[in-house]
Amino acid sequence: MNRKIWKLINLLVLAALALAACGAPATEAPAAEAPAQPAATEAPAQAVATEAPAQPAADVPLRWRTRPDNKEEIAVYTQISQDLDSSLEGITLAYEPGGTEGANYQDQLKTEVAAGTAPDVFWIPGTDVADFATRGLILNIAPLAAKTEGFDAQAFYSGPMYHLTYNPEGAKSGADSGALWGLPRDVSTFALYLNLDLINEAGAPDPRELAKEGKWDWNAFLDVAQKTRALGSDIYGYGASAWWGPYGVWLNASGGGFYNADRTACALNTAESLQGLEFQRALYQDYDVATPYGEDPEPPFRAGKVAMFQNGRWATPGVRTVPFNWDVVELPTGPNGTPGNWLFWGAYVINAKTAHPEEAWKLVQALTTAETQGKVAALGANIPSRVSQEALDAFLTFTPPANNQAFLSGITEAAKPTAEGPLWAGSWPEYDKIMGPAIQAVLTGGKTVEDFGATICDEANKVFTK
Amino acid sequence: MTEIPNQSNKNPARQNEFILRLLSLWRGLFSVLAASGAIAPWLGIFPNLRLWQGLLLTTTLGLASIFSAIAAAEIIKRRHKGRTISLFIDYLGLVACILIILQVGGVFIGIDALAEVFGRSILFLLAAFVGYLISAAGDYFESRSTTQKILRQVGKWIVLIGMVLFLLTANIFQGLLAIINKLANPMGITAIVSLIIFGLALWGMWREPTASALKAKTNHEQMLNGWLFLSPNLLGFLIFFAGPLLLSFYFSFTDSDAFNTPKWVGVENYAKILNITIKPLAAPDQLAREALDIQVYDEVGRIKFGNGGILFGAEDKLFWLALRNTLVYALFAVPLSVIPALLLSNILNSKLPGMKFFRAVYFIPSIAAIVGISLVWQWLYNATIGYINYFITIGVEFWNNLFNTGLIDPKINWVSDEKTALLAIIIIAAWQTMGFNTVLFLAGLQNIPGELYEAATVDGAGPWDKFWRITLPMLAPTTFYVVSTTTIQAMQVFEQVFILMNPPEGPNNSTITLVLYLYRSGFQNFKQGYASALAWVLFIVIFGLTLIQFQNQRKNSLYE
Repeated sequence: MNRKIWKLINLLVLAALALAACGAPATEAPAAEAPAQPAATEAPAQAVATEAPAQPAADVPLRWRTRPDNKEEIAVYTQISQDLDSSLEGITLAYEPGGTEGANYQDQLKTEVAAGTAPDVFWIPGTDVADFATRGLILNIAPLAAKTEGFDAQAFYSGPMYHLTYNPEGAKSGADSGALWGLPRDVSTFALYLNLDLINEAGAPDPRELAKEGKWDWNAFLDVAQKTRALGSDIYGYGASAWWGPYGVWLNASGGGFYNADRTACALNTAESLQGLEFQRALYQDYDVATPYGEDPEPPFRAGKVAMFQNGRWATPGVRTVPFNWDVVELPTGPNGTPGNWLFWGAYVINAKTAHPEEAWKLVQALTTAETQGKVAALGANIPSRVSQEALDAFLTFTPPANNQAFLSGITEAAKPTAEGPLWAGSWPEYDKIMGPAIQAVLTGGKTVEDFGATICDEANKVFTK
Repeated sequence: MTEIPNQSNKNPARQNEFILRLLSLWRGLFSVLAASGAIAPWLGIFPNLRLWQGLLLTTTLGLASIFSAIAAAEIIKRRHKGRTISLFIDYLGLVACILIILQVGGVFIGIDALAEVFGRSILFLLAAFVGYLISAAGDYFESRSTTQKILRQVGKWIVLIGMVLFLLTANIFQGLLAIINKLANPMGITAIVSLIIFGLALWGMWREPTASALKAKTNHEQMLNGWLFLSPNLLGFLIFFAGPLLLSFYFSFTDSDAFNTPKWVGVENYAKILNITIKPLAAPDQLAREALDIQVYDEVGRIKFGNGGILFGAEDKLFWLALRNTLVYALFAVPLSVIPALLLSNILNSKLPGMKFFRAVYFIPSIAAIVGISLVWQWLYNATIGYINYFITIGVEFWNNLFNTGLIDPKINWVSDEKTALLAIIIIAAWQTMGFNTVLFLAGLQNIPGELYEAATVDGAGPWDKFWRITLPMLAPTTFYVVSTTTIQAMQVFEQVFILMNPPEGPNNSTITLVLYLYRSGFQNFKQGYASALAWVLFIVIFGLTLIQFQNQRKNSLYE
């Protein structure tokens, strides 16, 4: 008898395992009704073709995903999903956080896209838009947007929209380009998080005051960094992470940049770019004011050992828990007369294989309304991507930091931020793979700026010719 | 061999004859169907089928068709070979149908839901298990029938209630409806019907009367049972290892990006990987573009001597840097995780008190999660607030104070300096692998006969002589195994680099390794075809190194 019971339990557990896996709509892959677009050049026509077959079902299940930076953001996005689930008629939403703080969101997403199990709507960083679009992995929603009453692409910041409306066929961008790859979730810029206690202790001038007086330039920055570094061998004046964002601002601020104006060739070896790189190299090697490049500067900043920590708005929730007085200030102005800031962005895009493009488009719009963006921005991790004074005014109230204006100053036209963007004429991941280690070699003292300038574009330009 | 006795009487014999005819008919029919399926891809019936899929389908079904036809003829001739082939084909067909049903039912992509559901229902399953234990406990009260009866009854009810609640909380009815909905399509229905047919054919052929009629002998039954027991592992190997292996070999000759239909590019990927050039330098610091065709090659490195030197260029610079780093890594990580393990195992093999505790202590790093380990080491290595530099600073200060010297604190940038980045990875690997290797050596040491040491002692040998002349030679097979597996492991280094370094390639690509490069190419740069070629080149490198080790072992082994 016991053997029979045991067998029965085993059989039931096995059946339950299989059936439980079957009966969950939350993990169901989008049905591949709409064929994947083979290339961006065919994208507009393909997108029109996807309009026809979608028959609005009584209750269309949609999965969506965005990369959260922390658990609090997961909670906010989960709540947003529940709210939209109630307000969007005929659509049932399932939110998936995707990667976590330690997991790689993009690798997971790409694997799921390849396997055909990616969500209907997902977020990708701005640098990935071209790769996803040209490989036909995301839907061109221009035809859907064109027949959407009240939709205005100009309601969003122009930098991200330049890339999101870029049509590789004819290399044209804008509302009439015939391409729309998604809508920006939010924007962000760099600022310097200040340890005010260290700056006061060093007797250095307050960077916020210098910024107000228009005196916050590279020299002033170096002065504060050196004075705080002098506090002790374990105290640093400046810290930044090792990726393209932090080092890019120094190149931008000196009038250089990663590419030429139309993003079709390497510009890392221009005199301006090398000037920016040289200043940054000196911060690490000659003046020795920065935490070693390649080491995460956030732990020492949080431990009270770094005076100025360069990071985006997304670092704010974490910094809010530090045990010292802190605030933020704009990046210092470079020789070019601007701080060289980035306009970081990422976009909600629609899976090319979604069975419900129209419903997915409704979701993308709902996720980028001023109201939804306000809920996310209230957490303090990012800035709404809609150009709206109301949204910006609201953002200023999300304190600390007291000087929220520092982030907004980075977005203004006067600051001339460079929009984070994909390479339509090449492969951004490959470009980054060549540029990153070479710059790291300079900043860690393994290569001179001259050597870098003499060779980098020979290698990097191959990315464009492919 | 003894024949299985035929115990059937006249009526069942006729029934058996009928079943045999049905089975031979089924084999013939299956042969025709499989042959049609094998031809179908080339008649344009499946326009979306990729080339490799068409080839796979034709090969599989073609072989199934041929063997099925052979089996039909053998069954008619009442030979056991027909039964064996039939059982193999029907068993594989049954497994294929189950997999298709699970796929169509969406089971494979429902793992998240499975975890979520079981999180809710696992307590009830545990309750059912407790009920089973209570019921089983009744067996210990044979002499007290009332107690036994109560325990069994209570146990049964707990099992029943637990299972009902488990099934309800596991959404079994929702799942049932969902799977019915998902299978209610031509593919699903065909799979279910095929499952039933294969199942019946399998049953028909497996039954004893059929076995007897086809002259089954004990060795036949033993062979079939052996294959049956082996089949889960064998099928798993074929589906999850051999299959992807062959597929990656095919992809290595394509431009696959994992998303779109791959195009055949021949050996282009391999040619790019292996395309190198060596040029003389007119001056030690001559620019690479002056010596190389910079449109094709990048500088990998240069050797300077006199007023010139040699420039080494490659079409894929990163592959050669990755190969160099991987070999350097293996060159240091293998001895550092083998030699200390050998010495440590000799100490731990002694009968000193507390040795068992230390064996466990040294083994812990091997079972700890690599991600956790790497994150911990990342903190330890942090140049500004890490403990390693902290202790170095304290040590230097202590030394200076004690001896009034002027030693300078080196403040090593462990992971951000290209001179030390790879070393940082090697230290972690050696620390982590050493414990496991120690256990292997311990096992080897315990197999060395004690008499050898006793004889050596009588002959006046000291501890060093014993170690050098007895322990080391007798440990040769273990050492060979340890060195081989550690080398293979070292050549595949990835996790530590990926987590510890930021970016993983390290300063000036000083920590880029072959598997890291492969991963970056395949999963981040959309170059699955190229990554597959890299994987096969890596395989050849590892295979070559292992082959050398094997030959070396044969040459020096005491056991030949």
